[in-house]
Amino acid sequence: MAAKVIYHEGRLIYSKVLDADPEDSFLTGMGILTFLLILPLFGAALIAALPSESHRLIRVVALATASLNLILACGLLFSFDTSQPGLQFVEVQRWNPRLGETFSLGVDGFSLPMVLLATLLSLVAIMASSSIDRQVKGYYFLMLLLEAAMTGVFMALDWALFYVFWELTLIPLFFLIDRWGGINRHGAALNFFIYTMGGSVFLLISLLVLFDTVPGGTFAMVDIAKAAKSLPEHTQTLIFLGFLVGFGVKMPIFPIHGWLPLAHVEAPSPVSILLSGILLKMGSYGLIRVSGVLPKGVLELQDLLVALALVSLIYGGLLAWRQTDLKAMIAYSSVSHMGLVLFGIATLNLAGLTGALMQMVAHGLVAGALFLLIGLLYERTHTRDINHYSSLVRVTPRFAFFTTLTFVAAVGLPGTVGFIAELHALIGGFERWGWLVLLLSLGVMISAAYAIRTVGRLFTGPVRAGMHELSDLRGSEMLAATVLAAGIILLGLFPAILLDLMSASLTQFSLSFAGVQ
Amino acid sequence: MLERLAWLIPTLPLLAAAWTGLGMLGGWTRRESAERPTALVVSGASLLSLSLLLALSIKSMISGPPGQMVLGSWFGSGDYQVMISFSLDALGLSMACLVAILCLITQRFSVNYMHREAGYQRFFMVMSLFTGAMLLIVMAGNAILAFVGWELAGVSSYLLIAYAYDRPLAAVNATRAFVTNRIGDAGFLLSIGLALLWIGDVEWPRILQADIPGALTAGLMGFGFLVAALAKSAQVPFSPWISRALEGPTPSSALFYGAVMVHAGVYLVIRLQPLLEQAPLLMALMILLGGLTVLYGWLSGLVQTDVKSSLMFSTTTQVGLMFVACGLGWFEWAAWHLALHAIWRTWQFLNAPALMHLATRPARQVPDWLRRRPGLHAAAMQRFWLDPIADWLLVRPTRSLSQDVRDFDQRIINRIIGLPDRAGALSTLAQWETLKQQRSRRKGDVGIARGVAGRLVQWIAGLLYWFEEHLILKGGGEGLERGLKLIGVYLEHVERLLSQPRYLLLMIMATFVVII
Repeated sequence: MAAKVIYHEGRLIYSKVLDADPEDSFLTGMGILTFLLILPLFGAALIAALPSESHRLIRVVALATASLNLILACGLLFSFDTSQPGLQFVEVQRWNPRLGETFSLGVDGFSLPMVLLATLLSLVAIMASSSIDRQVKGYYFLMLLLEAAMTGVFMALDWALFYVFWELTLIPLFFLIDRWGGINRHGAALNFFIYTMGGSVFLLISLLVLFDTVPGGTFAMVDIAKAAKSLPEHTQTLIFLGFLVGFGVKMPIFPIHGWLPLAHVEAPSPVSILLSGILLKMGSYGLIRVSGVLPKGVLELQDLLVALALVSLIYGGLLAWRQTDLKAMIAYSSVSHMGLVLFGIATLNLAGLTGALMQMVAHGLVAGALFLLIGLLYERTHTRDINHYSSLVRVTPRFAFFTTLTFVAAVGLPGTVGFIAELHALIGGFERWGWLVLLLSLGVMISAAYAIRTVGRLFTGPVRAGMHELSDLRGSEMLAATVLAAGIILLGLFPAILLDLMSASLTQFSLSFAGVQ
Repeated sequence: MLERLAWLIPTLPLLAAAWTGLGMLGGWTRRESAERPTALVVSGASLLSLSLLLALSIKSMISGPPGQMVLGSWFGSGDYQVMISFSLDALGLSMACLVAILCLITQRFSVNYMHREAGYQRFFMVMSLFTGAMLLIVMAGNAILAFVGWELAGVSSYLLIAYAYDRPLAAVNATRAFVTNRIGDAGFLLSIGLALLWIGDVEWPRILQADIPGALTAGLMGFGFLVAALAKSAQVPFSPWISRALEGPTPSSALFYGAVMVHAGVYLVIRLQPLLEQAPLLMALMILLGGLTVLYGWLSGLVQTDVKSSLMFSTTTQVGLMFVACGLGWFEWAAWHLALHAIWRTWQFLNAPALMHLATRPARQVPDWLRRRPGLHAAAMQRFWLDPIADWLLVRPTRSLSQDVRDFDQRIINRIIGLPDRAGALSTLAQWETLKQQRSRRKGDVGIARGVAGRLVQWIAGLLYWFEEHLILKGGGEGLERGLKLIGVYLEHVERLLSQPRYLLLMIMATFVVII
């Protein structure tokens, strides 16, 4: 390993030994995380080299790359030490020493679940892409590029590297929506791009201000975190507000979610899976990371955060209830569910943060599964209007089973992963704000209203002409749906698997706020 | 050793009932050829129970009864523990033997009597269930275990009265009998609760020997048990249910209402002798109600015209006499009376279907003194209007109250909360389909809610929808795009102006002016 690793107060940090060790070459420091990052890029390069007519081969290469990446990420799981709160598998490379930028990767209890989720959903999305028949080569190339960028965001240990990956996700997404999307795809893609770029401006400004405060002139997350703790409260608040706008666009938080319904509706379904499953989590992940850096600022804005969270929660739920377009409904339900994540983060205590992280995983699985199923249904019926559906349980029992399961998981039925998340958020919220959590329950109730309504509309009622010859889920579609459903149930019944993974990091993280107060 | 097997005695008939029930569900006992194995299993289980009981009795005759047997813990919560225990004393053992013998005889009788009846398997299943339940009542070592048997006996009597469930009268009578018995169950439960509260235990010996402070508390606890006993034994004012119970097939009437189940109440009273003796008021109550039942049964019995009804009323009279005896403190006498009466009555009931062949002289007429008193005669014919009185006092007020509550629910609560998609108003599929088609013709009708709360949510959602459409989607997303385009157009203008030479010259001149 290239970096000199130092333990400080039980937390693994690294020092900038790179300047002192100029002989260090890139390759000697290549570890599993770099490999995880490079593998999809390599797959994308391979696809680029293939002839564009051989659709089958391209698809196989993409599938193989994504599967390998998932296996690799699972391998990470086995050698991950759950008792260690700090960063693990740390790799540091020299990148741009003049600006203090390093190419450094690592994972801890926050990022490992996200990396796993990203690789899993990428594979599911690629599996669900069988209906893409235009410009196949470009599509899979961009999908793999997107996967690399997303995993990069979750593994980066340097704010500059983080920002690079963050922006890198935009490029493949823009083209994916713009080329393979629905009727209004151009407007949606542009809208998405402008919104996220606007958010990124605030993100960049806040990052630069932070960079300015660090004496050594470095972007390393650990160094910045140490230096920023001594900043006055007022400055911390201002910087955090910038981050909040930047990450809030991606998450999305209530007034700045305008890109989301349009983008989700217009994007091809596999892209919607990634968009809601992982891209939204990047926002909340960044927010958690930045809260650790600016604890005083977060505590100052805690009330604002919880207000935004509750408004997002109820606003998104009510609008989801009003939608006739199935994809728009899921999009607004994402706003609502991410409101729960923000609520968990805003509590800044162990239970709430656990709930937030659990909800990130839960929503990744649930929204991924919903977009997968609704997308597949749309391919067969070519309508997304809920009023056009009826009594599919007789025609397509597998669709009915998986969709119902996913919707009840979205509501948070006990036995599904959504329940664990909601329960933790509820407990955390009650510890911090008492009876304010009643509003949270109201949000959950609204989500039950639209979820059960949708299940009822889709699958019960009289058989409708033209809908009784739909084909049910087939081979790979079935596999993709089963994987997600199994994740939802498994983590719902045995949440300890996931809780163990993140508990050490979470405990240390939440204690750092108790110290500030 | 033998005492350890006591749990098998009530369990064997229950297992036989379970086996028969499974056979009905699984469908392997549908055919007529399955009648024999069913009868064999059911009577075999009863016979095994009886043999065990006889062995136990002989052993206890030689070396004294084993008394209270605790076989293990059933469940517990906090300080309260409920055991699996059996009272194998003289009373329990003799009663159990009586029950087992009578049940076995009746089962044997039913093999021929029920032959080729539609519900043969069902009848034997319930019969076996009842045997197990009765054995549990008389052998249970604590109130809760006895209550389990008590309820199982109630359920099996319900199932047997409604044996011909396709006849509306049978179903109504079964419900009536069951609900009347539930009044007694409420008393039983009350006493169990009080025992747990005051004594902290429900074992019979603990309840009976406990040092209960004051006659009032003992009376209250005894009162609950007494209500249960009166209801089960069809004493006034609970009597009418027993004449309704005649709807079932004859062997079941014999067993349930003629011989065994009506005596369960007397058994309970005898079992609770020490407790009741502490409360003189309860003893007086027993004499009063028992005496009233004797009068009621005697007078009504005199005017009956069918075999089973007159047998039934004479049973009620005899049981009333047992209660009077208990009230006077002659508990042992009541126990002897019980046993003899049960055996005699079973014989009578099982003979009832063949009475026309056996009878040598016509039935006696209503005696002259009764005929001369038309008021009393009418009252006896009408069975002292106990049923209408209960209707007037309990059933009708309950019905009108439930109607009122239902109206309140529909007119006020439902309007405030709102039912989803008129769930209550649709009864046929056709109705539903037309509604569905009408509804789906309207566009964009999601987000419709009923009730005050629903309307409020709908209104808020509409408001938010407008906000989202106009300010966030149009103003934010598209507006941003439009604004950028507008700026682009302006910049293009500026660019075009700047690219014209005269403005360039002007700028250069301006620069010079500034420099100079």
